[in-house]
Amino acid sequence: MPLFLVATVALLTAQAPGPPPSLTPRDSAFHALNRLAYGARPGEADSVARFGVMKWIERQLDADHVPDPRLPERERQFKILGYDRADLAGRYRNAVRERQRMQRDAAATGDSMRAPFDPGVGPMREFRELGGELQQLAIVRAALSERQLREVMVDFWTNHFNVFVGKGADRFLLPSYIEETIRPRSLGRFEDLLIATAESPAMLFYLDNAQSVAPGSAPPPPRRALFGRRFGMNEMPEERRRRPTGINENYARELLELHTLGVDGGYTQQDIIEVARIFTGWSIEPPERGAGFVFRDWAHDRGTKHVFGVTFQDDGKGEGIRLLKLLANQHATMHHVSAKLCARFVADEPPDGCVDAAVAAWQKTRGDIRAVLRAIFTSPDFWSTQAVRSKVKTPLEFVVSAVRAIGVEPDSTPRLAQLVARLGEPLYQQPAPTGYAESEAHWVNSGALLARMNAAIALAQDCASIPAIDDHAQLVDVVDHQLFAGTMSAHTKSVILAQLSDVTDPLQARALAVGLALGGPDFQKQ
Amino acid sequence: MTISRRVFVKSGGLALVSLGLDPLFLARAAFALGRPAVRPSDRPILVCLFQRGAVDGLNMIVPHGEPAYYQERPRIAIPAGDVVDLDGHFGLHPSLAPLRELWDNKSLAAIHAIGSPDATRSHFDAQDYMETGTPGVKSTADGWMNRYCEHDREHEDTPFRAVAFGPQLPRILAGSAPSLAIDDLQAFGLRLPQEAARDRLTRAFEELYDGAGTGLLASSSREGFEAVQMLKRADPTQYRPAAGVDYPAGRLGRTLLQIAQLIKADVGLEIAFADCSGWDTHVNQGSSDGQLAARLRELGVALAAFNRDLGERMRNVVVLTMSEFGRTIRENGNSGTDHGHATAMLALGGPVNGGRVLGRWPGLSVEQRFEGRDVAVTTDFRDLFGEILARHLGATDLGAVFPGYTPSPARFLGAIRG
Repeated sequence: MPLFLVATVALLTAQAPGPPPSLTPRDSAFHALNRLAYGARPGEADSVARFGVMKWIERQLDADHVPDPRLPERERQFKILGYDRADLAGRYRNAVRERQRMQRDAAATGDSMRAPFDPGVGPMREFRELGGELQQLAIVRAALSERQLREVMVDFWTNHFNVFVGKGADRFLLPSYIEETIRPRSLGRFEDLLIATAESPAMLFYLDNAQSVAPGSAPPPPRRALFGRRFGMNEMPEERRRRPTGINENYARELLELHTLGVDGGYTQQDIIEVARIFTGWSIEPPERGAGFVFRDWAHDRGTKHVFGVTFQDDGKGEGIRLLKLLANQHATMHHVSAKLCARFVADEPPDGCVDAAVAAWQKTRGDIRAVLRAIFTSPDFWSTQAVRSKVKTPLEFVVSAVRAIGVEPDSTPRLAQLVARLGEPLYQQPAPTGYAESEAHWVNSGALLARMNAAIALAQDCASIPAIDDHAQLVDVVDHQLFAGTMSAHTKSVILAQLSDVTDPLQARALAVGLALGGPDFQKQ
Repeated sequence: MTISRRVFVKSGGLALVSLGLDPLFLARAAFALGRPAVRPSDRPILVCLFQRGAVDGLNMIVPHGEPAYYQERPRIAIPAGDVVDLDGHFGLHPSLAPLRELWDNKSLAAIHAIGSPDATRSHFDAQDYMETGTPGVKSTADGWMNRYCEHDREHEDTPFRAVAFGPQLPRILAGSAPSLAIDDLQAFGLRLPQEAARDRLTRAFEELYDGAGTGLLASSSREGFEAVQMLKRADPTQYRPAAGVDYPAGRLGRTLLQIAQLIKADVGLEIAFADCSGWDTHVNQGSSDGQLAARLRELGVALAAFNRDLGERMRNVVVLTMSEFGRTIRENGNSGTDHGHATAMLALGGPVNGGRVLGRWPGLSVEQRFEGRDVAVTTDFRDLFGEILARHLGATDLGAVFPGYTPSPARFLGAIRG
């Protein structure tokens, strides 16, 4: 064989990464559906296998061109999407005033002991309900969207750039954070996403940067009265709230530790202070002006800053943008975020190979998230036998994959969202800026497993898409095919069959078989 | 993927024989070996509350005798007239007034200037260090409470030996010794209206997990099923707190009520752990009233209720609060405080050498501070945790619980009565 042909063949082999021959096309498709999507719907592993799994992955990466005709109709049922940030801000302000009035009344009648223990009842109820809607909307999208990888990435970035919905103004800032900041950029460039989160009112409030001002700075007199009163924690009597007078390091620290460089990223306490100085003045308009981003010139520290050897001269908001662009493409950032992506898609402790491939793609494309993901999905580590069915599902993944597997259309009530919460992952309610964890050790414990079994029994009451067959062996085969794409273990099969032996009612048999299958060990894995 | 195959001989709900390949699974299985029985009501018990978010130790245990305290906190200091004085120099935040009687009867001690030798001001890192018990070492996989359970096997093993209240097992209890996460005692186990159906499904799931899954799935589920059996016998639905005891509404009160319930049920509880969040007071933390005051009021009322509910049983119970670090001495520009260094902890219960503020107080003047801004650490938290493990729970191998560090009796504060 001529040398150039050998080289071409070698090149072609190297350029055609994908599932190894040891995985059948259906198993490969099932694996991809478990990781890039929230599990397989009935028959989907077969259809993806027929379409070609690598081709399907490419389509998912190109989410904008995947038709998703049914989702908009379902989204319209959520009234939260009909409110913009200014609407919600106004409603929130009224609710806070009403609550303060009630607290003053309670204090006057000597009933103040009880008041702090019951936040969120009374005037705040509407925000509770809207919060529930937002959670359920995430589940409906995860279950129904054809753009599955985008939904998975929205969840990933929502945790990476976590904002706690329960903190004051974030009750009304979170919807626009998810809709306008995270969702449109989930498959874009990391740098754009980083800048968007830095400018988002939700993050500015959550990590207190909205309150961070240069020491000694003061707003021009006419605005002094407004500033600092609107975005207090609203727990203090009016007269005790004061306008802020110094820097706040909170955002700066989490930006370096969690969003970009990682905890071992080689920065110092002094770097954190310098970064906080750079972001002084990045704040939020008062609710009556829409609660949008504002750069307050008067609050900005005009001094020179040094962040790991780079000098930042006074350039107003430009300093922060320059810093974010610098951070977005630091090696430590690329490695930290790539390793997190691999922990999500490959294994809790990802092998170096896929992380290195992701970092290389990041370097080459300056952080094109789709290129980074493609590098992970084409890495041999993604398809290795160690990776397939090795990851335990998070509560969100467990519930949504169950709903998809049994072919149920989730309704618009917060029922499924409450189920996810009971399993330990109430969406948007992680107070710590770390977001929810990805690892098996975090989610597997005896109490949590019992809760999953209960959830499985409840979910199995609604499995009309599976035929109620008299023949038990046939029934178990159908359950295996539909829920596991034929990968159910022999042990699970035999236990379910034995349990069915004295059940004569085919509807009961179906519910029992599906409940045991969903609550058993096989379905906890992806 | 490691598939563990297990053979069970059931005897009193404990597995006696097991074969497996997974190291974590094997280590857990080893716990099933017999232990000498201790009379349940004599078992010493440790209850830990983690104040996540870094409580402001200076406003919890107020150094009202320090002029610097008032100079640095013009807006948020607790006025001397509001402080519940303890010893002329320190006092309780007024919201903790319900604990005053425990101070007076010498079963409440405060520990000041306690914290980590590591300087991190990251919540995540500092909580991690406090839970792994290895400050500065991020690679530690398990928590110090779990390592204690692993190395001190004098106690009878039950699934309830170490219980975390909450949906997930916290880092402090992660590791090879069995431990349980319970979100709600009443709802623990399978929820089906008919008992026969419940028992049948429980057995079916038990069988599913016994023969399949990885080590962690299999061993966690087994611990769960054992716990279900024991709890069924203890019947927690019938629980009523002692007469006149009113736990505050909310998660903390509910959790402490359930811990009291488990203690009285004599199911072998040795360590209970719960989170108690909302202490990250960067903005408008308040003074005698306000945000922090509300959180402390809930804590004080809940602890006082727990103490009254357990009554005489408190003779061998120690409750310890902990928090990842303290907050800046100087208030920030938002009438709040930022991440600092040392903080304060509370220890209460019969075995506590109470009525004293323990630990060497470093002072608040600039040269006495850590990095010029924070309360300096004069007690390594491992010395307090170590003392409680050794003198209260009877731990014999503290070196294994805190690798790389040997808590020395010479450094013990004397928090536990000799």
